[in-house]
Amino acid sequence: MTSTPYSSSEQMETKLQNPSLSPIPNPSFSSPATRLWRPAAQRNLRNQWSKLLSHKQQWYMASSSGRSHATSLVNDYLRQRYMSAMDLGCLSDMPNIRRKACHKLARQQEIHGRKLLSSYKDMVTAVSHMANTSSSMRCFLKGPASSPLVQFSSASEDKNDNGDGGGIPVFRFWSIPHFENLGQELVQMFSLELSFKRLLVVELLSVSCEEVQQQSTGLCWSDELYPGEFNELSISNLYSEETQEPVLPRIKGWESNTQTIQFNHHPDQEILQVYLTAWLAEVNIDTQRVGDIFSMVGEEMHVNLS
Amino acid sequence: MEMMVKKHQQKFRKVKDDMSRWDQLQSQLLAQFRNASSIIERLQVLQEPKNYGVFTCISGIREEVLGKQMESLETIFLSMKKTIEEFHSIVVSLEKILRDGRQLMKGGSISPSTKQMQLRIGIRPSLFDCLEGLRIIFEMHYSEYLLKSSIVSALSLKSSASDLGALNQLLIDQPNIPKEEVQFIFDIIFAEEIC
Repeated sequence: MTSTPYSSSEQMETKLQNPSLSPIPNPSFSSPATRLWRPAAQRNLRNQWSKLLSHKQQWYMASSSGRSHATSLVNDYLRQRYMSAMDLGCLSDMPNIRRKACHKLARQQEIHGRKLLSSYKDMVTAVSHMANTSSSMRCFLKGPASSPLVQFSSASEDKNDNGDGGGIPVFRFWSIPHFENLGQELVQMFSLELSFKRLLVVELLSVSCEEVQQQSTGLCWSDELYPGEFNELSISNLYSEETQEPVLPRIKGWESNTQTIQFNHHPDQEILQVYLTAWLAEVNIDTQRVGDIFSMVGEEMHVNLS
Repeated sequence: MEMMVKKHQQKFRKVKDDMSRWDQLQSQLLAQFRNASSIIERLQVLQEPKNYGVFTCISGIREEVLGKQMESLETIFLSMKKTIEEFHSIVVSLEKILRDGRQLMKGGSISPSTKQMQLRIGIRPSLFDCLEGLRIIFEMHYSEYLLKSSIVSALSLKSSASDLGALNQLLIDQPNIPKEEVQFIFDIIFAEEIC
């Protein structure tokens, strides 16, 4: 089905309505409008889902560059930590060599920290876009239904218009709420993972060596990591107005018992290894399910979403 | 006789193709093995709750991270198995080339006498050289395939870091396929082309 410019001739769209599949349409929805609603809704859904797909790809790119910055940061930190035990050979006679090397590594660590933060920022943006997209799947009638030129928009103008075409199938079987639920499922996975990664970013940005006299950044969970972060987080429901801080991380299917977060500014090598593994593991994202959702939706809409 | 030697040289070109596929699979297997062993080595660290630092406040984190790692490990194990199967298909192909070579001697209108078999014209290889070469190369790859498949099945969650190191070295070395010997065979078969 292509979305050709609408014509008010009613015969054109009649074949789109399969009477056996359509439940009784919302009475407030006049029938010519319903017939015109479908192609508009179809076009909107296709747009939103292809946006979701590209936000997902943005997430993966940001997440993987974040991981490599995190790895470099951890290496910089560990090298400073083990500097005193390192055998420098003939260089050990040079005055202040260890102090200078540590200083340099600390600067590098700072640079990698900034890069990590910027990857995190990209992830926040990707997730907030996902949330926005998944809540823009409805298609509302614009202007009076009786008007000869029927238009549609993404914002509701009439309280009686749910934007779901009265719950009729948009393509073959699924109604708008069905598409919305799948979108929500994606948003939930990615936002849980985002909140989890935020914890990791806060922790990694705070690690520092005692040996190096740098002012401790000493970040807390309630600190805004960059200007505008909380605004973006609240789009994805990750900021609690009540507690005035980001929602605490948890894992899907597990009770959240998070009360206080104990940051550790001098983690061991083993802990850091766990951190990096956890970053990679994306525990909140069921990759298989994500792929399934996109391919199911793609099949329903007759487009390729992969 | 000359025709037969030519035909055999043709077969050696096919052997060369198979062997370069083998090399590709070899580097694929090494990468898979590296990934698997880094996960296995990590498992111990991941099993210790005290290694979870700031994550201690999130319930379920240890189980989920471990679960995800096991999932990836399983995927790697599966793809290693597939790689081993592909090694096997190369062994099968080498065996077929050898069988065809033997067939060529017997099936022809005149089967060559022992003298003819060992006859070398100029720097051209004898028919015997050709058959022997095919046989040796097949046997090397067959034994190496057996070795690789037993290494892969020896890999387990409980393998220690030193075990993993030893197995990895064994995989890299390919002790059943001595490079010089293979080169020597090819040098005899394609002597004219080298000159």
